[in-house]
Amino acid sequence: MPYGYNGKILHADLTSGTLAIEEPPETFYRQYLGGQGMGMYYILKEMPAGADPLGPENVLAITLSVVTGAAVSGQSRVMANAKSPLTGAIGDAQAGGFWPAEAKAAGFDAFIIKGKAKTPVYLWVHDGEAELRDATHLWGQITGEAEAAIRDELDDSRIEVLQIGPAGEKLVRYACLINMSNRANGRTGMGAVMGAKNLKAIAVRGTSKPPIADQKALTEIARWGAQNFEDSEVYGMGLHGTADVLPFQQEDGGLPTRNWDSGVFEGYEALGGPTMSETILKMRDTCYACVVRCKRVVEVTEGPFQVDSLYGGPEYETLATFGSYCGIDDLAAISLANQLCNMYGLDTITAGATIAWAMDCFEQGIITAEDTGGIELRFGNAEAMVRLTEMIGRREGFGDLLAEGMAQAAKKFGPEAEALVTAVKGNPMPAHMPQVKRSLALIYAVNPYGADHQSHEHDGSYGDYPDRMAELGLTDPPPRQALNAEKVRYSIYTQQLYSLLNTIGVCQFVWGPSWHLYGPSQLVDMVRAVTGWNVSLWELMKAGERALNLMRAFNAREGFTSAQDKLPRKLFRPLSGGPSDGIAVTAEEMSAALPTYYAMCGWDAEGRPTRAKLEELGIAWVADELGL
Amino acid sequence: MQIEVHLFSVLREYLPPGNERGQASVALPRGATVADLIAQLGITRRVHLVVINDIQVENRQQSLQDGDSVKLFPAMIGG
Repeated sequence: MPYGYNGKILHADLTSGTLAIEEPPETFYRQYLGGQGMGMYYILKEMPAGADPLGPENVLAITLSVVTGAAVSGQSRVMANAKSPLTGAIGDAQAGGFWPAEAKAAGFDAFIIKGKAKTPVYLWVHDGEAELRDATHLWGQITGEAEAAIRDELDDSRIEVLQIGPAGEKLVRYACLINMSNRANGRTGMGAVMGAKNLKAIAVRGTSKPPIADQKALTEIARWGAQNFEDSEVYGMGLHGTADVLPFQQEDGGLPTRNWDSGVFEGYEALGGPTMSETILKMRDTCYACVVRCKRVVEVTEGPFQVDSLYGGPEYETLATFGSYCGIDDLAAISLANQLCNMYGLDTITAGATIAWAMDCFEQGIITAEDTGGIELRFGNAEAMVRLTEMIGRREGFGDLLAEGMAQAAKKFGPEAEALVTAVKGNPMPAHMPQVKRSLALIYAVNPYGADHQSHEHDGSYGDYPDRMAELGLTDPPPRQALNAEKVRYSIYTQQLYSLLNTIGVCQFVWGPSWHLYGPSQLVDMVRAVTGWNVSLWELMKAGERALNLMRAFNAREGFTSAQDKLPRKLFRPLSGGPSDGIAVTAEEMSAALPTYYAMCGWDAEGRPTRAKLEELGIAWVADELGL
Repeated sequence: MQIEVHLFSVLREYLPPGNERGQASVALPRGATVADLIAQLGITRRVHLVVINDIQVENRQQSLQDGDSVKLFPAMIGG
């Protein structure tokens, strides 16, 4: 019996309605681990090139890892990969909660889903058994209702449900997966992929977990985390949630405001973590076995924007995209938009950023009230923002167009509208600004699933945490606004580490290379304790690099080249106001950094993995697949 | 001299008694530095960012002036 994992992968072909259990060898698990690595293995093997992302050929990989469910902070993560209906590139999204640990206890390490059911179904997985059940009666229900209905009909209140909402059913291209009615595999439209398959949910329940190789060592690692949490850098995140970072972003000139025209927002104080704690916070919430407790639960019982605590509370990204991006300083309105996204199953980053783009177009007369159905879509109009969020979730009126995504909607309004887009590969930029943290310019451009802020370590950490950075061989920090060769090296090493985190399936607030509760060497210790494998940091970093190459290989097979590794024009225009006034990313630094990055990665001039690199990573079969 | 201090996030634990919302007026001898201010407040956590009169300051030995507004941030992280 393996340690840490079940040794079973569940394959579901929804077209035929068949379920099959695969039991891969230990060598497979050690090479791919879980998450991105394991998901990409099946996607490249089982999905034909050029598949319609909303067609039956798309393969949705929902994966855990070899450590999911072990009793230590930050391991209860579920990863989702498929071809993205928003970008046409690989899609990727991660979430925490209790679903991942429960799914592991239910007896499987991953769920590989292809085909399309004739009528809506859900997957019921419990103690090593799985069945497809009718979901016709659940179709159209918001997440909170569907979760309760599934628990009722299966008569077990401890069932955890990973599901899509009405937005996924209606194929909103940035629909997400939701568990606990408030944890989202947010980005790149994985909910639309699931909706296109007529799969409403995966309900899980389990009563036994795989054994741990060295329980004493794992307990000691968990105890160390609990004892050191209050003195750690993540303590503030526990107190105030991710919103704790918002005042810092403001002070740094790095809070995207009014569709990225500025890095400072005059209404920022109303949106920060302390304000939330002092006003609408009902309680702190957590994921399975985690001491950090960064999740917020908010409630508003009076006024025009009342908020149900079932749907959690807004993260920093949500506060920024529905807040400063849209020029809105109403915390209740933003919290309601967050609730609507969790009810309908929408990515808050993409929804907020897309509305902000539409507001910018409206302010400039590119989009008119005639287009919006009479909505005065001006910056600062909280009521319009909330209303439009719901219209996107329902695909109603102007919301139906925005449901196609910012870049796609911009095509309808022409070059002026396209010049205001704030997306890479069609994926809107999250609320961290490359103008003040320059490595983000590079990583936003090259990341396989589009602009993402959780795909490498941000610039300031290099100099601030020298001991942990030295574990990665990084000892020469450049300034934050530099994008020189050393910064490219830093970006690559930490990108590979973050890809590892998304492969081994651990939370990036708990495990990481700098300010995190646990550092890289402790990750090695944890994987050793859980699996019994004598892994090294080198071996694990290679697993991260392997996953990253698998994703770039997928994109290459879909025809992506360096032409898609491009930043939106807005980033090259100077910001206005505050500490970042006048600052812009330059075309010259990007022209120098991109080829350096490709060369350091061992890729060709178009950013495609070479046969030699793929062979070096032990995945020559991918080179064969690509015809290299 | 009097310094207007604004503490953020977990640094609010070090706010002198009788103050709220992270803000306080602190008396320091003339010529005191940023490091002296941090020591007087009893801050043992890492101070990640210092902003004096809306300008970011790297040098912890920089002298303060009467009436300065000083913002102190811990490591501010999160996504």
